[in-house]
Amino acid sequence: MGEKRRSTSKTLGKNKRRKGPHLPNSILKTIANEKRPLNSDEEDDEIDSDDAIVDLYEYEEGVPEEESRKNNRYDPVVNYNYELPEDFEDENVESDDDDEGGNSDNEEGEGDDVVRHTRMLQAVTGMPSAAFDGESKRKPVLFTEAYPESEFNPTRDVLEGKGLLTIDELMAPIEGKPGFNELEKRISRMQKDAQAVVHAPLPKPERERLERKAVKGLVDKEFNKWVHMVKRNREAPTVYFNQNVSLGYSTVGAIASEFQPRTDFEKKMASVLNDNELGEAHDEDGAKLLELNEVSVEDQIKYRDHIAKMRSLLFRHELKSKRIKKIKSKTYHRLKGKDLKKSAMGALMDPEMAKEEAMKQEARRVEERMTLKHKNTGKWAKRMISRGLNVKYDGTRAAISEQLQINATLSRKMNSTNDGSSSDESDDEEELNDGSDQDTPSKLIAKAREKTLKTVEDDEVPNSGLLSLPFMARAMKKKNEEAIEGGKRALEEYEEWENSGGEENPKKTAVVSGRRVFGATAKVEAPKESRKDSDNFYDNSDSDNDTEGIENNDLGAVRDTASPARNTGAITETEFDDDVENPASKTTFDVALFASGSWKKMKGCQNAETKKKLKKHVPYSKGQDKKESRDDESEDSESEAEEMVDGILTSASKETYEIPSQAELIQRAFAGDDVVDEFEKEKQEVLNQEVPEPEKPVLVPGWGQWTNIQKKRGLPSWMVREHEDAKKKRTLDLKTRKDARLRHVIISEKVDKKVEKLHTTTLPFPYTSKEVFEHSMRMPIGPEFNPATIVGSLNRPEVVKRAGVIIKPLKFEEANPNEKVDDEHPRSNQKQNPKKGGKTGKGQSKGKSKQKTKA
Amino acid sequence: MKIKTLSRPVDEYTRERSQDLQVVFHNFDPSLRPMEKAVEYKRALTAAKLEKIFARPFVGAMDGHRDGVSCMAKNPNYLKGIFSASMDGDIRLWDISSRRTVCQFPGHQGAVRGLTVSTDGNVLVSCGTDCTVRLWKVPRPTLEDSSVSSENFIEPAAEYVWKNAFWAVDHQFEGELFATAGAQLEIWNHNRASPVQSFQWGTDSVISVRFNPGEPDILATSASDRSITIYDLRMSSAARRIIMMTKTNSIAWNPMEPMNLTAANEDGSCYSFDGRKMDEAKCVHKDHVSAVMDIDFSPTGREFVTGSYDRSVRIFPYNGGHSREIYHTKRMQRVFCVKYSCDATYVLSGSDDTNLRLWKAKASEQLGVILPREQKKHEYNEAVKNRYKHLPEVKRIVRHRHLPKPIYKALGIIRTVNDSKRRKEDRRRAHSAPGTIVTKPLRQRRIIKEVE
Repeated sequence: MGEKRRSTSKTLGKNKRRKGPHLPNSILKTIANEKRPLNSDEEDDEIDSDDAIVDLYEYEEGVPEEESRKNNRYDPVVNYNYELPEDFEDENVESDDDDEGGNSDNEEGEGDDVVRHTRMLQAVTGMPSAAFDGESKRKPVLFTEAYPESEFNPTRDVLEGKGLLTIDELMAPIEGKPGFNELEKRISRMQKDAQAVVHAPLPKPERERLERKAVKGLVDKEFNKWVHMVKRNREAPTVYFNQNVSLGYSTVGAIASEFQPRTDFEKKMASVLNDNELGEAHDEDGAKLLELNEVSVEDQIKYRDHIAKMRSLLFRHELKSKRIKKIKSKTYHRLKGKDLKKSAMGALMDPEMAKEEAMKQEARRVEERMTLKHKNTGKWAKRMISRGLNVKYDGTRAAISEQLQINATLSRKMNSTNDGSSSDESDDEEELNDGSDQDTPSKLIAKAREKTLKTVEDDEVPNSGLLSLPFMARAMKKKNEEAIEGGKRALEEYEEWENSGGEENPKKTAVVSGRRVFGATAKVEAPKESRKDSDNFYDNSDSDNDTEGIENNDLGAVRDTASPARNTGAITETEFDDDVENPASKTTFDVALFASGSWKKMKGCQNAETKKKLKKHVPYSKGQDKKESRDDESEDSESEAEEMVDGILTSASKETYEIPSQAELIQRAFAGDDVVDEFEKEKQEVLNQEVPEPEKPVLVPGWGQWTNIQKKRGLPSWMVREHEDAKKKRTLDLKTRKDARLRHVIISEKVDKKVEKLHTTTLPFPYTSKEVFEHSMRMPIGPEFNPATIVGSLNRPEVVKRAGVIIKPLKFEEANPNEKVDDEHPRSNQKQNPKKGGKTGKGQSKGKSKQKTKA
Repeated sequence: MKIKTLSRPVDEYTRERSQDLQVVFHNFDPSLRPMEKAVEYKRALTAAKLEKIFARPFVGAMDGHRDGVSCMAKNPNYLKGIFSASMDGDIRLWDISSRRTVCQFPGHQGAVRGLTVSTDGNVLVSCGTDCTVRLWKVPRPTLEDSSVSSENFIEPAAEYVWKNAFWAVDHQFEGELFATAGAQLEIWNHNRASPVQSFQWGTDSVISVRFNPGEPDILATSASDRSITIYDLRMSSAARRIIMMTKTNSIAWNPMEPMNLTAANEDGSCYSFDGRKMDEAKCVHKDHVSAVMDIDFSPTGREFVTGSYDRSVRIFPYNGGHSREIYHTKRMQRVFCVKYSCDATYVLSGSDDTNLRLWKAKASEQLGVILPREQKKHEYNEAVKNRYKHLPEVKRIVRHRHLPKPIYKALGIIRTVNDSKRRKEDRRRAHSAPGTIVTKPLRQRRIIKEVE
């Protein structure tokens, strides 16, 4: 309001200044003075003072710079060569505030200038300052009217309707008269009220529209406050509607707190329990408890009576026992004793009796163990069990189980009743027996070992007699060595036995058979091995001859690696020679041949020298007879060894050995298999399978063949066309395949129809990428595949509710920024966020598996 | 130093009771079980089939009215009670568990069009074409209710006659006010014989009214000028109004999302709106082939039930375009009113064949007490089915519903019509200058404008 008023007063002032009637200055001054009390604000004052200054001149001319700085003592020329001070700051650095401050300073400065000027004039002329006030700025005023204005000669403004009379103007004449103040106040109040202009009412629809707009905003605001709750609800993986069910009391404490004493006793108890004094006494030290523990006379009497009663009872009992003791009848005492014995109490009380009882029990136990009377070995029981009646009828089952129970009780060892010494002895014995039973073989083995060790160790050679003769000695030595060998072997066997015996029960025959089996297999294997050996033995020469040249050229390292292959090759060759119809061997032979062929190829392309040598050697090997080779076996092997030694030696001595490059080595190592070729073949096969070649057009026999014309024409054109189309299509298909340009890759484009049902045709709705969708299906959720602790959360439905529980509508809660995620129902975010869940799941599983493998 | 040892304490591995489960240890190493995905897929398939086998949604019918059931009201405070009114002015209170009438409220001369119960469940308000609003005191449910065979009649606690016939009534949540819809929207107090407030916007009569359960002072109405309007009682003025192409028969607010409401439209679709932005529907729920007569939200806010003139009841997810479930029987006629029970377990429908029908909200749900293990099994089946629901085999089984012949045929016709429309529009677009033909999205297509 204050602002508005100010603005209005300003406008008023302006109006006055520009369009107001040209009133005499005195009037204007008085008006200005009158206005001052109305607007008591400081700013208003300022404005008023401005007005007062501005009011007085109509036309303001720009004051020349020199004039305004009349009393400036400095030569203005200095300013032209003005140098920036060192601490000068750029304009841009200054903020608006600073600018404003500067401006205000300037204004003040101007004001100061004016004041100084007037003061100077005053000092010079000695006239009051009021005389100079405004003089400096007063300019000649232009009057356009011929006559001074009056009510008969109004100004043009008034005639045009612009010159509005203000209330202030009207009020001016009556100033100072009685009632003026009151009137002025009323007018000012009226002016205040008149700020809100009363317009003509809007049309109803318009009004309503505005109203609705307002309502709309409010309703929206009302709705908006729910957003956070709705969002939370929607984003929650599970919404719970079964939580706020009150089931009455929840804790024991709650139930106890609700307890109200009803009966007298309860009330008494309550009064004691709730007694503050008592509680305090208890809390302090308990000394006061004694004071509080007053016993009433009645209680004392009651207690005494009770004691007396008990005493009298005891006395009577004594009397009774005395009387019984006096009875001399033996039968009576015998019967009584029996009763006592029967009762367990008696047994417990009398150690002798207990011993007797134990003996009896032991006898019964022995009997039971011998006869197995209660182990359902009887005819009846067997019958029942064999027919399965014990399952069918409860009675039978009960009877049988009872028997078993009796058996169990009878055959139970009575530790407590037995004497310590005897039981210990028997235990020891038993243990001993058990030990002997078990350990006999091991002991035997130990003995045997000892003996053999002895024999092995004392291999003293007699120094005299026949045995001291050199050849005898040599023979003896040999024998001894053999014996020692045998002994060592025996020892090893013993050890083996021992080891096996420790684990296995020697009583079991299975072990024996097992050993026997082992022996047999050994037997079976041994000849095989020998045969192989012999084969190798025989054919070493052959193979050696075959590959000799190559080996000579090759180096030791390669030779070592190649040797096993060579051996097998040799075996198969011989087998082939012997016409063994074994498909497996045949195939291996093929491989061998293939390998050798490629070998040759490789060699051929590698260098000519080897080729020559190979040529040299091959005829020799071919020409060689088998028998010959067999004869020369030892020689060959010897020679070979020599050669080898020679080769190594020579290579070492000559130092011509060069380390082959990595590529060369690899080439040599995989010389046998031509991978690229094989792969190409394979790829072609796959292509043929997936994109089959179109069948050649064939006429159905009998169709179109019975005329010469047809024969001449050949196949019908449509058939040919179709075939060509099919061919074209095939080539196109081959071209469009994913692996068409990838030479080393086969990408199968075969569609498995069975798998098709496990794929969706399109990406399902909520998912935006295939990976996320697949991740969501990745980890299983079943109880078999997940720990029980997380199965529940994995399978929890989106809405958890309980039948019979009324669900209330949402209640408003303020948004809590510090709110945590619901900890009560931890739940993996797999369901909510497929991507996230999948990833974490994957990570977990990986970690797990790693751990497993490590462990 | 900590020494790790293998230990197997006896106490941990023995059962206390024979009913206890044996402790079983699993090695969850996935490499040990390479077939788990296949196993789960198979289980999902089985679960889907089992769901179909056990889908027996119809629980029972409540027979007693002598005319078509026009409206129903559920007691927000008592699960077993449901009120229904028929076109002949008969109002009944039913005991759902025994499916019998507990008592009757005679008095209305013409059809009863609106029925509602106060939140505390003590006052029943009814109104109808006889220009009266009647307030009834609801009898307290006692144990004898179900056993009493003789039907008792209850006198109205108050009867207010007004100037015009009424179409609907709804009670404020947790308040004393109720609103009636007729020639205009009127707000009543229990204790006043005349409305305390009345709203009118346009001259057409209001046909349905529903209070917002979350915001008790906000209510929505639909009028016969095809408009949907939201009012705020505190402001004595409407807030928003949209005009649609067809009339809206009923409105339901989402109880869990107070800004959202769903309108059951005459064109067979339901439109979910955000109360703050009405010029576009948030979701269009299509499946009914005829006018949707009534709609009610599940108290969970996750789905709603609709009853239609095509003699079927459908259950829609709140954000899904198509229904989850369709319920129909041979004898069920035009459905005029539907209600979701307060525990979100049952659905009630009242139809022209004078019967109320009680359905399960989940067709294959097992009723009665479910042991924890059973519950877990059900949850697992559900989860597995949900996981593999996109795969063709499972999808086919889960989505399959048998439809009555008329609905099936009507669906076919609608599809054809839509296809031809689309084709025509495509052609038109193809043969006209680009940009001249603008197709509105489905969510805006049926909305004519929002009135300022």
